[in-house]
Amino acid sequence: MTHNGISRYTMEIATALLTGAIGMAICYGAWQVGTGWTPSGPDSGYFPFWIGILIVAGSLVNLLRTVIGHRHKDETFLDAARLRSLARFTLPIIGFAIVSLLLGLYVGTTLYVLFAMRLQGHYAWWKSLASGIAISICFYLLFELVFQVPLLKGPLEHAFGIY
Amino acid sequence: MNNLSLLMDGFATILTWNHLMIMVIGVMLGMLVGVLPGLGAPNGVSLLLPLTFTMDPVSAIILLSCMYWGALFGGSTTSILFNIPGEPSSVATTFDGYPMARNGEATRALTLAFMSAGLGALAGVVMITLLANWVAQFGLKFSSPEYFAVYFLAFCSFIGMSSSAPSKTLVSMMLGLAFATVGMDSVSGGLRLTFGIPDLVKGISFLVAVMGLFGIAELMVTTEEGLSFNGIKSRIRIKDILRTMAELPRYWVSLVRSILIGIWMGITPAGPTAASFMSHGLAKRFSRHPERFGKGEPNGIVSPEAADHSAGTSALLPMLALGVPGSATAAVMMGGLMIWGLTPGPMLFVTRPDFVWGLIASMYLGNVVAVILVLATVPLYASILRVPFAIIGPVIVAVIFTGVYQVANSTFDFWLLLFFALLGYLFKKLDYPVAPLVLTMVLGHRAEEAFRQSMVMSDGSLTVFWSNSLVTTIMGLGVLMLVWPLISKLVGLRGWRQRLHRQKPQTHEPSTPDSRH
Repeated sequence: MTHNGISRYTMEIATALLTGAIGMAICYGAWQVGTGWTPSGPDSGYFPFWIGILIVAGSLVNLLRTVIGHRHKDETFLDAARLRSLARFTLPIIGFAIVSLLLGLYVGTTLYVLFAMRLQGHYAWWKSLASGIAISICFYLLFELVFQVPLLKGPLEHAFGIY
Repeated sequence: MNNLSLLMDGFATILTWNHLMIMVIGVMLGMLVGVLPGLGAPNGVSLLLPLTFTMDPVSAIILLSCMYWGALFGGSTTSILFNIPGEPSSVATTFDGYPMARNGEATRALTLAFMSAGLGALAGVVMITLLANWVAQFGLKFSSPEYFAVYFLAFCSFIGMSSSAPSKTLVSMMLGLAFATVGMDSVSGGLRLTFGIPDLVKGISFLVAVMGLFGIAELMVTTEEGLSFNGIKSRIRIKDILRTMAELPRYWVSLVRSILIGIWMGITPAGPTAASFMSHGLAKRFSRHPERFGKGEPNGIVSPEAADHSAGTSALLPMLALGVPGSATAAVMMGGLMIWGLTPGPMLFVTRPDFVWGLIASMYLGNVVAVILVLATVPLYASILRVPFAIIGPVIVAVIFTGVYQVANSTFDFWLLLFFALLGYLFKKLDYPVAPLVLTMVLGHRAEEAFRQSMVMSDGSLTVFWSNSLVTTIMGLGVLMLVWPLISKLVGLRGWRQRLHRQKPQTHEPSTPDSRH
């Protein structure tokens, strides 16, 4: 930690650990299905296993380069102000994913555009709501009518009889 | 000449009103994604791809490739007018394009950029026309070990040519290969790496990865930096355009050099971004007035643009003829080809000549259409960027979510999207390259199949990759690429020492290019 936020040093280490963990998960998954030789050639897990090993090895190099070389110690990765604007952008997206799962993409889009415009641009409620509804209607016209690809729908559309 | 008559057949295929309409739509949509921050060519093509599943492949590829040209042009527009590169490959255009526009010569800067970009693209297509059949013929000699060697060479070039740390490139690339192996094993038919999650049985789509890595992640970085657009008002006058076109021949040296760089970097998977930076750098180095660069020097606009577009176009040659894409967007298009039921590679030239030559013919026409359209609509697209980001950003996110849902009608992909967004955000901020991940994700299945078939051929001995002169040469080139950073470091270090030696009296050594990381 530097005095004004998260340091890049910390994040380099965290990312190397994350990619290393993914590599280990790949190795474990590959080992489960078999990494050896079968009568019909290499087993299913043979190729992914070695890929996993390379990921772990690469992550280890990244980790050691950072720690031993003391790289990026004084660089700031994210300060408080940037973290706030990032959170204002990212949290509504996570909300969007959850609402869409429960209520479908149309309701999700309307609510997401509404809250994102409120949070990021401080627009009036009615303007944000109107934009959200307008964009949902545009999506409906474009995808369901023009391209004929159905989007995820929820209970609200079913109540109105739109499938 | 055989290629020429095939090309004429291609023109016959595409010269219909229907296809011309598709071209115009493709270019317009491409310019839109090129102009919008956070939406680039790879992401735009990924979004459009699910909508083409029901189209016939020729129309579909025209739509996607024209979108690609449009995005390349859109990216240059924002670089010049707003100093915001719409695409990573148009960063180098901001160096001289924006200063020239700020000096009140916006039309001149835009015309120089579009014309040299158009010429670069045209040179790339001519090269494809001349070489495509030859490369495909060469590719027909390949069997599994040679194919794996070509993939190996592509992967190694990424490590050798990348400006990021080799270990970071390695991790990014191998993650792509690993994600590609999740789900059904295409050789044995069994499941693997699903960890008991039923939604992973269908695998991880590269389209979802692209939308997370290039779309949401890019927007996250953009929001964090806080956007302020200082756009330059542009009125496009025909007289200025014509005058600028007349001065273009003066820059022929830069044009030719940049086109050659672009074609080379496009065929090898170094890609358009590296090509544009390199050719801007070389233009400055060889210029008689290097001090004018960065202040609106015409050669500084012509060079990166010509290189960017010739590389972008040339990237389609290895994709079509060998099945190895030269850029992230080419990789996404190649994924599209496979979804439409076509197998990119030399056999495509034999089985579907109408498709291959239709695409090549559409590249000629599409670029001409793009240059005209982009000049006509610049003010319109520039006005889009004046819409506040608080409105544009959420709309882009919503479009990406609908796009992700259309890939497989799966809500699990929302979580994958968020995972890739996080990964892309971390990678972008920590200088991990993202394009190799997408490329290996598309190539993963084919690379693994080639590897396993080679292993079956040789009964498990790795010597199969050194068994004949062709495969040995390709593997050797790959190894050379892999150790290239080491070689250049050694050579660079020696040169640096020599210079230090010569400048002994001076105590201060200015930083050399090699000291950058």
